[in-house]
Amino acid sequence: MALNKESRHKVKSVPVAKLTGIALLLLAIVIASFWHLGLGAKSVDWATIWQALVAYNPLDSDQAIIRESRQARLIVALFVGAALALAGVIMQAISNNPLADPGLLGINSGAAFFVVASVLFLPMFDSQYLPIFAFLGAGIAAMLVMLLSGWEQNSERLVLAGVAVTAMFAAMTAILLIVDQQGLEKLRHWLTGAIGASDLKKLYWVYPYLIGAMVLSFTLVRSLNAFHLGTRVAEGLGVNVLLLKVSGLVLVVVLSGSVVAVAGPIGFVGLVVPHMARLLVRNSYLWLFLYALLIGALLLILSDIAARVALRPYEINTGIITAFVGAPVFIVLVLRKMR
Amino acid sequence: MRYAGFLPRFKTRFLMVSPFPGTSFYIRSSDAFWLTFFGALLAFMLVLGAATGSYQLSLMKSWHIIATPEPAPDRLVRIIWEFRLPRLFAAALCGAALSIAGVILQSVTRNALASPGLIGVEAGASVTMLVFVVMAPGIIPAFWLPVCAMLGGFLVASFIWSLSSLSGYSPIRLVLIGVGITSMLSALSEILITYGDIDLVESALMWLGGSLHQVSWLQVDVMVMWLVVAGSLAWLCFRQLNLLVLGDKVAFSRGVNNRYIVPFLLLLSVALTSSSVATAGTLTFVGLIAPHIARRFCADRHGALIPLSAIIGACLVVLGDTLGRAVFAPLQLPAGLVLVLVGAPYFILLMSRLRKA
Repeated sequence: MALNKESRHKVKSVPVAKLTGIALLLLAIVIASFWHLGLGAKSVDWATIWQALVAYNPLDSDQAIIRESRQARLIVALFVGAALALAGVIMQAISNNPLADPGLLGINSGAAFFVVASVLFLPMFDSQYLPIFAFLGAGIAAMLVMLLSGWEQNSERLVLAGVAVTAMFAAMTAILLIVDQQGLEKLRHWLTGAIGASDLKKLYWVYPYLIGAMVLSFTLVRSLNAFHLGTRVAEGLGVNVLLLKVSGLVLVVVLSGSVVAVAGPIGFVGLVVPHMARLLVRNSYLWLFLYALLIGALLLILSDIAARVALRPYEINTGIITAFVGAPVFIVLVLRKMR
Repeated sequence: MRYAGFLPRFKTRFLMVSPFPGTSFYIRSSDAFWLTFFGALLAFMLVLGAATGSYQLSLMKSWHIIATPEPAPDRLVRIIWEFRLPRLFAAALCGAALSIAGVILQSVTRNALASPGLIGVEAGASVTMLVFVVMAPGIIPAFWLPVCAMLGGFLVASFIWSLSSLSGYSPIRLVLIGVGITSMLSALSEILITYGDIDLVESALMWLGGSLHQVSWLQVDVMVMWLVVAGSLAWLCFRQLNLLVLGDKVAFSRGVNNRYIVPFLLLLSVALTSSSVATAGTLTFVGLIAPHIARRFCADRHGALIPLSAIIGACLVVLGDTLGRAVFAPLQLPAGLVLVLVGAPYFILLMSRLRKA
């Protein structure tokens, strides 16, 4: 009891610096969101956006644009970024591997293959069931990668296994799209990670899973903190390591599967964000999770802005922008961390 | 690599072979046996591939037309010699080139999982092709496209090489940086695929998937040249490769100059890979699997391993192409995609075995 009291006492001393960081990140997200909402074929000034959000007047056409079309895209970007970042943190924590990422390890492409297959071959299922297919594919891919590389294997093994699984699922998707040319035309935008093509309706299918997984992942914080010290130490502290890894993997599968169902496979967010968050906080997974959620949302809003500005009047898909941002980070990580 | 248990065991005997008068070398009887065996298998696959298609021929008939084209009807000769044979030969040559490139990479990086696709050559070559096919169709005549693809492959490979040797070369870094660059390049090609003209994109997608449907005799000739030059240079380095497998230090102490021989070998593998990418698009996994199958039969002796894996790789691609033409009959699946479906499970098996060892 005494120990417990003391630790509670410790938590009570308010970590001012970390809270300030959170506040600053929130502020950045708000500013980025306003920028994101104002941008488009018709640019809208910030006062009108504020009006549209606070006191919505459906007769004003500018406000209607914000509420009817742009707001949905922003919300999707926020959720997708946060979910991918969280999936990345959990993945890197449970595989104890700085290079883990749901996109790089084939989980996204597994989910994408199952979604494409279900759209083309099982049209009798309502599109409401898409997330279920995505979870199935993500789960199978994750199991394959983990079986291939083993739980305690080195980074190189894991990444190579991921490359193989990605190649396999990508090839199967490509075969499906060659067999069904109409499918190619319908799905080719979605397949590179398109936030623009998605709408709020798709988010409604997945948000129970997304929110559930995000909340549940905070229950892993204590065990992850212990696990960070090593498997032996964690076992000594009473953590069920196998259970921790399995539940972490399930959470990753649910998070990235829902993202794929909403916005297609978007890579590298899960790789980059945890490292950015770790530059700010190091010692506790509670703060790491919070920071990763915020940074992920911010990063995705910014890449979505970049995707819309870079090649005007065309839009690049957001997944492509994140790959351009993420791949150099991956290379720098390899150069720094692999000896 | 362990010798497969189910194979008949040979007593180590040596045969003397003299292909030209005055030159002679010794070859293990087991190697000679497996080389002839797989050579015969390849010949059979070629005849089988020439027989299958929308106009089905019997095996004997296709063999007769290939061996003696004169007495056969003109139409059949055209089907076989104009349409099917160049394609099959191109398939065999690409398979052989990729497998040799795979052997070199796996031995130099001492990484059983390395393959030409992983060091970015394939990605570089295919992005270059895509840029010229989709963005600026017609700027470069079709004849020069392969050369451009090759330049792109070289460029990307040398970039990856110089990045990975920035702070001391290590095989792991080479492969991982290859993965990073490859994903960046594939993002670039995704932009082209998403925003290009849909007709151009569809043909580009077929080519990217490793399709051989537009191959002509001219391309076969070019491919033969590359394979003979680069392949024989690689084979001449088999002693160095044997030593490099044992580790850089051992190789160095036995008189192999790593600083020169490793980049030279990598250059050869880049040349082999990009020439095959230019002919047939991306045939992932051939360069990975064929060397492993070959190692079951002749272990790490590169003198036999290089020709044997070339023959096995040729068999694989010919088989993949024939299957891709036959399974969804009016529709043609690219050979590369069929091979991934075969190759990825094999890769999975391979990795789980490696874990146990």
